[in-house]
Amino acid sequence: MKSFIKPAQNKLYGYSNWRYKALFIIIFGFCVILVIGFIALNFGTIAIEPKKILSIIWQHKTDDSLGLIIWELRIPRLIMAMLTGMTLACVGGSFQGILRNPLADPYILGVSAGAALGACSVIALQYITGLYLIPILPIFALVGAFISISLVYLLSRKKSHLPMTDLLLAGVAVNFFFSAIITLLLAISRREIHSMVLWLMGDLSTASWQKVFLIVFPVFLGTMLLISSSLELNAMALGEEEALHLGVQTERLRLKIFFIGSVMIAIVVSFTGLIGFVGLVIPHIARLMVGPDHRIMLPVSALAGSIFLIICDTIARSIIAPTEIPIGAITALVGAPIFIHLLKRRNEHDE
Amino acid sequence: MMNNTESNPIISLENVTFSYSSQPVLQEVNLSIPQGKFIGIIGPNGSGKTTMLKLISGILTPQKGVIKIFQQDIRKISRKKIAQIISMVPQESYITYNYKVKEVVFMGRIPYINQWKGEALLDYQISREAMEKTDSLIYAEKGIHQISGGEMQRVYIARALAQSPKILMLDEFATHLDLNYKYEIIKILRDSLQEEVQCIISVFHDLNLASYCSDQLILLNKGRIEKIGTPHEVINLQTLEKVYRTRTHIIKHPKLSIPQVLI
Repeated sequence: MKSFIKPAQNKLYGYSNWRYKALFIIIFGFCVILVIGFIALNFGTIAIEPKKILSIIWQHKTDDSLGLIIWELRIPRLIMAMLTGMTLACVGGSFQGILRNPLADPYILGVSAGAALGACSVIALQYITGLYLIPILPIFALVGAFISISLVYLLSRKKSHLPMTDLLLAGVAVNFFFSAIITLLLAISRREIHSMVLWLMGDLSTASWQKVFLIVFPVFLGTMLLISSSLELNAMALGEEEALHLGVQTERLRLKIFFIGSVMIAIVVSFTGLIGFVGLVIPHIARLMVGPDHRIMLPVSALAGSIFLIICDTIARSIIAPTEIPIGAITALVGAPIFIHLLKRRNEHDE
Repeated sequence: MMNNTESNPIISLENVTFSYSSQPVLQEVNLSIPQGKFIGIIGPNGSGKTTMLKLISGILTPQKGVIKIFQQDIRKISRKKIAQIISMVPQESYITYNYKVKEVVFMGRIPYINQWKGEALLDYQISREAMEKTDSLIYAEKGIHQISGGEMQRVYIARALAQSPKILMLDEFATHLDLNYKYEIIKILRDSLQEEVQCIISVFHDLNLASYCSDQLILLNKGRIEKIGTPHEVINLQTLEKVYRTRTHIIKHPKLSIPQVLI
């Protein structure tokens, strides 16, 4: 029989060692994050020399204004962008896997609408009462997100089942319903429209160490749990019945991914607002780069999401500084052409 | 016949009744399948062939009756354990993302891989052997969306074999296969019966192929078993006319003395 791969040349019977590949990619990705992150620190309203930044970081200087800008503004914001990008891309990739739908994104199952409604309610309340309520905004967003997660779950559950189509439809319905209420809020609180829209398009300017510490643990734990389900997510690509035939308890898997992913998204968007595009397109870019095997695709998505959001946030806050552009506009503006380019290149490669 | 004349049946269905909502699909089916046989399930559209496969693999649960594999009630066996016993070659299914052929075959090893420990070298070896057997190694590096229907079917069979099943189930495996591959695949399936596979159950649309492949045929009609037996016993004019409501001609295969149906 003709052999495509000669066994003598490869100890793994023609399979590549995905562990080495993943390890290499992760190390490489972290190096890129370090470099890009350092470059990102240079940008902003006040120009600071790279040498000066190095010495500030090295000596952990926070006693002057430059030190404060670096340590209390730019670095937490950088880390926040990184964690947010990682979460959005990783959850997006998992949802695309579990729903067998390349158009799925982290917001498709309704989390975002709940968070947005929570956030906009606070802004509306602030407008009505005149109190300063912005510090409690994340709490309301989180509560809103959890309400919508439970709502979607309760609407789509049938006895002990959680059918895929019902989950998707419940998510879409909750999204539409909550969006309608948000539109009403926008209409009645005209003076606050600007801050609502800013939140809806994503905003990393409020990043702080406190927020970083609040999200870092759940985000890393969630990412690990999602990546640990990679093999089962691979099986899902064959179809629900095929996955069952491969011993995957598809109902349980779907429930697990839905809850872990939604909770991660809820926690992150409560602080950052709804940053779009990342969770939809970064997983596709990862697939184009390393193939659809979730064991590699998910870590690559997480890293690529981080890198991508760091770049976008840097552009958003520095291109017409001191004014900030909503990061949601930048993600699509920068991401769409990259995505189209990769897609075209792949199609040419296939022909 | 297939009743308990031989030692212990591998699969047994006792009084199994299944319906989708209120539409009965299988009614009071009793069946026991012995070791080492190639079983063909035939019958008109909607007679419950595929449902029977899904019941045996535990994907569907009957409203009434008990299904046992290796004398054990299937409801009491975990999905993962069932996947180590039964593998399934689907009729047709769409794979969402463009995995490589070798990756799809490797998925057959999923029931054996511990989530935290990861795969062993043996898993790769078995996947490769499955591709060698089905002659799909030549296009192992191709994307699953870039291969033809016939090549795809061989990939599915390779994946099912990679699962090291004791019971191999197929749903019309030959639809897209070229003549030479039809023959090759049947040979591979037959050979696997000599090895670790203890029983093959396949749904057939094509009666002649069913007659060619199977040791025993199960003829289903409107959710009930019409007849069980060797191709000789099942394929005859009266039975076919009754079930398919068509007059047919039956001739003997010139080389093998099996019945073949002509219209």
